[in-house]
Amino acid sequence: MTEPPEKAGIPGLPPALETKLLDIPDEKFAEVVRLLERVRDHPDVRQTFATIRPRLIQTRPDRRPTLKRVLCMPFEDVLESPGGRGKVEQPLGRIERRTIEPVWRLVAERADQAAFEQLDHQVRETAPGNRNALLNIGRVLWPMAAGILHAAAAENGSLRGDAPLRRQVEEIAGLLDIGLIVEALKSDLSPKPVPALEEEHTDAIERAAQAAARQAPDTVYGLLRIAAARLATPADLLTVLPDLDLGRAKRDLPAILSRLGGLVVGHLEERIARPDGAGDAPPIPPEEAVVLAEQLLASVTATGAAMERRSDPAYRGRLDAVKRAVGAMVSGSVLKTAATGILSAVPAPPLAGPPVVDEPAQIAAEDHARALRRSAGLAEALGLQQPVDDTLKAMGNGLIEQAQALLDAYPRLMAHPDDADAAETNLYYVLRLLEMVAGPGKAESLRLAIMASTAGRYDD
Amino acid sequence: MLRGATEYAPSTFEERGAAVAFTTPLLSQTRVRRGERSKLEVLIPSLSQGAGIYVVAWKAVPEMVTMTMHDRYLHELIVNEESCSPHEIRRATLKAARRGLAGPQAAQAARRALDEDEEQGTLTHYLLILAILKAVGLESPDMLKAGIGTEEGQRLTRQLMTRAAGSLRLDATVLYARLAEIADVASPVGLAQSPRPGRLLRCLSDLKIFKKGMEDWAEAVPSDTSPVALFCAEVAQHTIGIGETVVRDFQRRIEAIGPLMRDWDNEMLRIRDHATRLAWLLDGWSHITGAWDVAQSEDSHQQAATINDLFRILPLLPRQESSRDLIGDAKRVSSSSQRRSVRALEDWRTGAMDLEAIRRIEALKARSP
Repeated sequence: MTEPPEKAGIPGLPPALETKLLDIPDEKFAEVVRLLERVRDHPDVRQTFATIRPRLIQTRPDRRPTLKRVLCMPFEDVLESPGGRGKVEQPLGRIERRTIEPVWRLVAERADQAAFEQLDHQVRETAPGNRNALLNIGRVLWPMAAGILHAAAAENGSLRGDAPLRRQVEEIAGLLDIGLIVEALKSDLSPKPVPALEEEHTDAIERAAQAAARQAPDTVYGLLRIAAARLATPADLLTVLPDLDLGRAKRDLPAILSRLGGLVVGHLEERIARPDGAGDAPPIPPEEAVVLAEQLLASVTATGAAMERRSDPAYRGRLDAVKRAVGAMVSGSVLKTAATGILSAVPAPPLAGPPVVDEPAQIAAEDHARALRRSAGLAEALGLQQPVDDTLKAMGNGLIEQAQALLDAYPRLMAHPDDADAAETNLYYVLRLLEMVAGPGKAESLRLAIMASTAGRYDD
Repeated sequence: MLRGATEYAPSTFEERGAAVAFTTPLLSQTRVRRGERSKLEVLIPSLSQGAGIYVVAWKAVPEMVTMTMHDRYLHELIVNEESCSPHEIRRATLKAARRGLAGPQAAQAARRALDEDEEQGTLTHYLLILAILKAVGLESPDMLKAGIGTEEGQRLTRQLMTRAAGSLRLDATVLYARLAEIADVASPVGLAQSPRPGRLLRCLSDLKIFKKGMEDWAEAVPSDTSPVALFCAEVAQHTIGIGETVVRDFQRRIEAIGPLMRDWDNEMLRIRDHATRLAWLLDGWSHITGAWDVAQSEDSHQQAATINDLFRILPLLPRQESSRDLIGDAKRVSSSSQRRSVRALEDWRTGAMDLEAIRRIEALKARSP
């Protein structure tokens, strides 16, 4: 067998320790991963890897190379992420992780055994992080595996009538056909995710697409899927796609644009379907909601512009639905919760005893206030102008009222320096919230009022 | 109100001005100085990649830039300060942050910094008492055993200090006052024998890490920004070199506490000059080293933007302090890297508050108050 033999008697990590692996420093984590790699076939260790996979994706420590891992390299960007929706961002047009085992089995069983053993030996000799060595192995492995998978997908019954699996095996075979081109493109589109599509990235995508088209025009779509998956906003690719010279795949451009557009829209629908706080799921925090809304809206706009030429009403309807859902998310997570999130954080003046300064509540309220202010930038596009304006106004008025109550109570707290300190801090915290929701112009008069009330207490 | 950018080639630290930790993005780390007839001026680096500065009258700043509430408060505190040295600016900055005007985390950090200052002052004073007793041969295990914080320890200390003053032919109150004065000057730097370095020495250590970080980055990420990173490293190295020389002489003079007491006026003048010079030398660096530390978790594009932002506010040494023309070198670096990525300071043009940029600055304040 090509994987290291299973060692009997090696226990997996207890669940508590597995969870702890998510918290230890990066270097320690990489060290533990290297140790676990040595016994990775043990069922318990596999379970441990499943638990820590989100962190593996995040930190990407140099793991011991295996032939299976080299096989997966050209399609790793479109492999589904573990943890299901909501835990880790799912890649665009993903390939299910369950596909790996049957694909690996097919290749391991049907490959020329001598060549296969030779490649496996080379991988074992390769140090983690030696990318050139892995590419040299891929140069031989990928075309060989592609041939096997194309044949298997074409056979009747070899994939047990599992149509989705068969489709994905074909997709993988297509990517393995152009494995080296994919890997070169990945280098040009690094680090992932590429925050903005620059000219150098577009040139690299065009070059790769032309190279893939020379090999087989029908591989270009798969290559572009990889490119889109490496972008922070996959819809950006749709914007530049009509102007790319795809070489021999030039005539396929409308079909590619349509398929990729469908994929991007589907991905947007999937992303917005998650975080509305419905059911038992915890509501999405306001700042996270606004960031997500900005990303989705940018994608909807880019996709809409790119698909405009096709004037396909189905796309338009689906994009409008995504936009409505984004609006509902902002409304639910940022606007409707604003009073609880912002006004409730301001303490009422104490009837007796010292004032309480609740800094964690202030931090959360500031996050909410920033999200509310930021949502004003999306309001018009989401059809939320009035609700956002109303919420900002209500928060501003509410904060001014609360500040006035604190100002009124301030003189009776001045007798005790600690009480006066706490009361003053609370006043400045309300001032910050007001500055965030109503702007410095409105906040300035409160600042002057606070300075006037607290005058003489500067010389601490 | 705002004339064109002027050439920036200060001769002295005072002319260069002290960096102020404003939270308004456009004003962050701008320098403040006393100009003609002692009027306060703000020096805003040009927005066009370091080609000069804008000199703005202090009073005109709030009309010109939409300032945060924190900055308006700080602006008023600084007006009330007599001088405009890093010490006074730091005191005003910590006061504003402690009030909560830069957010709860910055308030906590300011409180911690003030507590640390106090602890460092006490520790320095204590170490100086031990040093003077040792110098006159009056080391007392009993005093150390009792601890200076206890009543018994303080009684023993007073006794020994009176004898020490006699040996030095000084009045005990004079000796106490002198030690308090040295402690006041020395605690931001830290004594050679101190178990914990003062904040200026810590800043010097951070600067060494920053310098290495810039060199490593320039090598690892060849780009338009690499020459900028290398220049930042050179300026840091130049500052470290001067700083280490100053610290060595500063600590040597305090360690020789007997001669210091004998030639008090001259020696104290030099010690004070060294402490002031070190504070000016490192002024503005803690923001830079902190910002680079934060950027460690970011990708190389963001790191490049951070380096270019930092280049804009790099504390270049004034002409009198360095034989090398760092200001001329900065201009050459600036003109040879035209396509550098920088973060836009949109609030300058739009007047709107960039809450995210403000939050980044406040987060830094919470790390390096």
